[in-house]
Amino acid sequence: MADQDTIDLVKDIDVDKYKYGFTTDIEQEFAPRGLSEEVIRFISAKKNEPQWMLDWRLEAYRVWQTMVEPTWAKVSYPKIDFQSLYYYAAPKAVTGPKSLDEVDPKLLETYAKLGIPLKEQEILAGVRQQGEKSTLDEEGAGATTPVAVDAVFDSVSVVTTFKAELAKAGVIFCSISEALRDHPELVKKYLGSVVPQGDNFYAALNAAVFSDGSFVYVPPGTRCPMELSTYFRINAKNTGQFERTLIIADKGAYVSYLEGCTAPTREETQLHAAVVELIALEGAEIKYSTVQNWYPGDKDGKGGVYNFVTKRGDCREAHAKISWTQVETGSAITWKYPSCILRGDHSRGEFYSIAISNGRQQVDSGTKMIHLGKHTSSRIISKGIAAGRSDNTYRGLVSAHRKALHARNFTQCDSLLIGDKCGAHTVPYLEAKTSTAQFEHEATTSKISDDQMFYVMSRGLSEEEAVALIVNGFVRDVLQQLPMEFMAETQKLIGISLEGSVG
Amino acid sequence: MLDIKNLHVKLEDEGREILKGLTLSVKPGEVHAIMGPNGSGKSTLSYVLAGREGYEVTDGTATLKGEDLLALEPNERAAKGLFLAFQYPIEIPGVATMQFLKVALNAQRKARGEKELSVPEFMRLVKDKAQQLNVTQEMLKRPVNVGFSGGEKKRAEILQMAVLEPKLCILDETDSGLDIDALRVVAEGVNALRAPDRAMVVITHYQRLLDYIVPDVVHVMANGRIVRTGGKELARELEAKGYAEYVEAAE
Amino acid sequence: MTSAAATAVLTPAEMAIGTPLPTRRQEDWKWTDLRRRIETPYARGAGVADPSRVARLIAADPLAKLPLRRVVFVNGVLDRSHSDLTGLALKDGAPALAEAEWLAAMNTTLEAQPVTFTVSGTADRPLHLMFLTLADAPAAAGARVHIDVAEGASLQFIESHRGIGAYLANPALTIQLGKGARMDRAKLELEGAEATHLAVAELTLAADAVLRDFTLTSGAALNRQNGRITFAGEGADARVTGAYLLGGAQHADTRLVVDHQVPRCLSREVFKCVMDGDARGVFQGKVIVAPDAQKTDGKQSSHALLLSERAEFDAKPELEIYADDVVCGHGATSGDLDHDHMFYLMSRGIPQAEAKAMLIAAFVGEVFDGVDHEGLRDVLTAFAQNWLTAHKS
Ligand SMILES: Nc1ncnc2c1ncn2[C@@H]1O[C@H](COP(=O)(O)OP(=O)(O)O)[C@@H](O)[C@H]1O
Ligand SMILES: [Mg+2]
Repeated sequence: MADQDTIDLVKDIDVDKYKYGFTTDIEQEFAPRGLSEEVIRFISAKKNEPQWMLDWRLEAYRVWQTMVEPTWAKVSYPKIDFQSLYYYAAPKAVTGPKSLDEVDPKLLETYAKLGIPLKEQEILAGVRQQGEKSTLDEEGAGATTPVAVDAVFDSVSVVTTFKAELAKAGVIFCSISEALRDHPELVKKYLGSVVPQGDNFYAALNAAVFSDGSFVYVPPGTRCPMELSTYFRINAKNTGQFERTLIIADKGAYVSYLEGCTAPTREETQLHAAVVELIALEGAEIKYSTVQNWYPGDKDGKGGVYNFVTKRGDCREAHAKISWTQVETGSAITWKYPSCILRGDHSRGEFYSIAISNGRQQVDSGTKMIHLGKHTSSRIISKGIAAGRSDNTYRGLVSAHRKALHARNFTQCDSLLIGDKCGAHTVPYLEAKTSTAQFEHEATTSKISDDQMFYVMSRGLSEEEAVALIVNGFVRDVLQQLPMEFMAETQKLIGISLEGSVG
Repeated sequence: MLDIKNLHVKLEDEGREILKGLTLSVKPGEVHAIMGPNGSGKSTLSYVLAGREGYEVTDGTATLKGEDLLALEPNERAAKGLFLAFQYPIEIPGVATMQFLKVALNAQRKARGEKELSVPEFMRLVKDKAQQLNVTQEMLKRPVNVGFSGGEKKRAEILQMAVLEPKLCILDETDSGLDIDALRVVAEGVNALRAPDRAMVVITHYQRLLDYIVPDVVHVMANGRIVRTGGKELARELEAKGYAEYVEAAE
Repeated sequence: MTSAAATAVLTPAEMAIGTPLPTRRQEDWKWTDLRRRIETPYARGAGVADPSRVARLIAADPLAKLPLRRVVFVNGVLDRSHSDLTGLALKDGAPALAEAEWLAAMNTTLEAQPVTFTVSGTADRPLHLMFLTLADAPAAAGARVHIDVAEGASLQFIESHRGIGAYLANPALTIQLGKGARMDRAKLELEGAEATHLAVAELTLAADAVLRDFTLTSGAALNRQNGRITFAGEGADARVTGAYLLGGAQHADTRLVVDHQVPRCLSREVFKCVMDGDARGVFQGKVIVAPDAQKTDGKQSSHALLLSERAEFDAKPELEIYADDVVCGHGATSGDLDHDHMFYLMSRGIPQAEAKAMLIAAFVGEVFDGVDHEGLRDVLTAFAQNWLTAHKS
């Protein structure tokens, strides 16, 4: 049934048209172009940050100045002029998170265009209150599971829903700026504790200029009562987006978090350098899902988002669990390795990934599973699909340190090539420093078999429909990891991403 | 021959107790059947007796001919005459079946201070026994249990038993996965080994095997304990009534 | 005695002029720190060795009793007096190495005396190149050999590498397999305990050529082998296997590139690495499929067995694929002995040490079994047995 959706969608599509490629005309407030201590002071002052936060940013900036852009990834792009970018842009009408009534209707329109699930739009638009039955629900289907949404528009978090309900459970879900104001002790304690300021070139840049992002804290023993979700949108021209997300699951807590990203169609490239830090304490579990659909550039490789992201989770205490699920269909360049530090004994890390590249897209993505504690385990399932003239690389590290006794990893990396002008690459690193670690890694690369294509097409599907169908089967193991609400959307997205890849 | 007293065993990893004070005594020449529902701890008992890691004995004793079994390495237990026919025989790629059998037999003989068999003596021994059990030369050429069907694995286990001539044989669900003809072959092989100085513990889920290997004593095991002991007629009673009452009583 | 001919002393930095020592920041050298490993200066060339010592070393070769055509290189130079050269097509000189890597540059710097063997038809006996290095003081020697196997010809080829002293052996070998040619190659790296072995091997296969390649890596304190197999003609078939038997503080790092430049070739690589003590094994395998190299079938696997808690294994099984109609894959595993296997063997009365030896032998046996030459296979099996006896822990 879901597959039928995909097929219908593929039928409807205008080839070479990025669905999310509109811009929203809202008055913006910018920091001066370029990067300097002054700009950083400007950002910090705009946000009324405490002195320690400014000092932290300035330190990051100093480190960043001594660093060079990494070149090891299998991606190539013209040198970025970091002085030509704007590092801060905010919709003028809203200088900080406001209640829904105050939100510019144009923003709400934007959410609609972003494909934010209809049920959430209702909430965003105030049509429906939390817990109320949706008019969109089928009869007798009962109330849907609510999803709390935080939307980040260029540099600023504009709206966070369901705050009250979450607060009742003790869950803090707000923008980082708000968290700095209302919960400075938590931010101070955890910010940079997983991805330090000088971790890598882009992380340092982010630490210096990050504008906003989401903050989540789930108190001990609490199961977050709903999915948390953030939508990121780059709108302004020549603007870098540097959001920072910090999620802490205290002892025995559970939270599931989903982020979605889009950007308008622009001829110029846009830079996105985010940092996500996850901290899971004893027995806690964090499930982090991403559907990344930034503008990939046109079919000749013009424009598109450079997505240089550092995501890392720290299973800081025993029996903690962190699970990353990502669907990467957008961006001109993706440079992204959501990782897990398995520090606590018996902690577990998971990475499930679908990376689709088409046109001139370049993807270099994968994960790192760093086993430090005893009896830690990890699992990696990566599905790469390369089409058009794209390059799609899986790069991953699994390491077990000397004291990581009885560490276990299972990795399965499959690549699918569609057409003979693309490349699919697998670059895994395995480092076993103890004999008690059991590592198992497997990878395959192949194309869609002619037999499969013939079979499906003999049932009346077009070539493109057949590809979408088979690809959806290829990625099933990963799709199943996504929250229910997003599975169908993602299947459609896969169809869209692959359009024009055959024939 | 075998004396188990108040045996308590838990899983090393989970800490869950599986055997909860099991007592069992088997005399030379006797055949005991242990029957019980899945998960009652039958395989755990056989593994603990054979010395598999991952189990912790927290209380109780187990002796073979008066000697403390639990203090010995698995190979020492084998040399003392203990043999376990595995419920799920392990496949070992790269190790030739014949070489494996020969090394095993001679290691046991050596440990007992007996003379090691020469290659021709050994070959003759295996050939005879293999024929009786329908184990083909081709199977013997393969690596240990690799590429064997379920039934072939079980026959190979009994072949090993026949070659090694143990004093105490534990058969863990040797009947599962066998069709009626294979079952008969296996049972004949086992019966041929019945001897006044040899004891057998036959673990099974079904009464069927006991039509061929007639036990002297039947035990019912549930929830980590022997909950009832009787003669061979008990097996038929179980067949008719099932284990439900024992499971409930044991919980 | 090494003669006084070993004069010029080279510092590590000077050994390969113009090409600095690789650093760990270089992708291919991530796990082998040559800068830390090569601290002491080596003399350029180990000079002329005492013939009686050479004779004794030859006699002790594990392959000495096999009916092979023996050609001996001492300190990187062909030793005619100990070689059976009658009827061999041999000439001076060799083509330049394709790879511009440090190992190759170093071989060029060492100014070895390159030789080329040409093989046509089927050789009467397997060719055994015995590379010996004898050095009383730290010295570096690099042999340079090219083997040209003509169209349709076939050759069984064994190379062994041994020596005495704290030397650095840097052999560079190139092999050209003509159309439909076949080579069964076996390399036994059995260098002395203090030695450093840095080897280059470049093999090129023309259409329908067949390569069977096996390398045993068990000697030397430090081993780095750069291998490259290039498919230059369609329909060729290469099966490349290797075994590591390492103990103590040994370090071995194999970088093997299999380059499918043309369609319809098949490659298989299987490496079985056993590490004991503090040994560290590294396997970096890369399969490249060029655009248009359709119908490539390339598979690679590396498996490590770590016998001691401190042993290490690093692997980077890489695929770089630019053609879609291919079947490629790799697998890598690392771990200690399978506990279920151990229990099963022991439950049948086999003592722990013996059970362990059986399982290790079975582990490497898979690649030994692929060696075509029966005599050589027996030598390998015996060698593994001895190694296991010496490393019974
Ligand atoms: N090695 C083990 N690891 C985890 N659980 C085990 C292990 N061995 C036994 N168990 C558990 O112990 C219980 C008894 O199992 P088992 O002894 O196999 O019962 P039976 O043979 O009577 O079916 C089951 O719950 C089983 O899952
Ligand atoms: Mg059982």
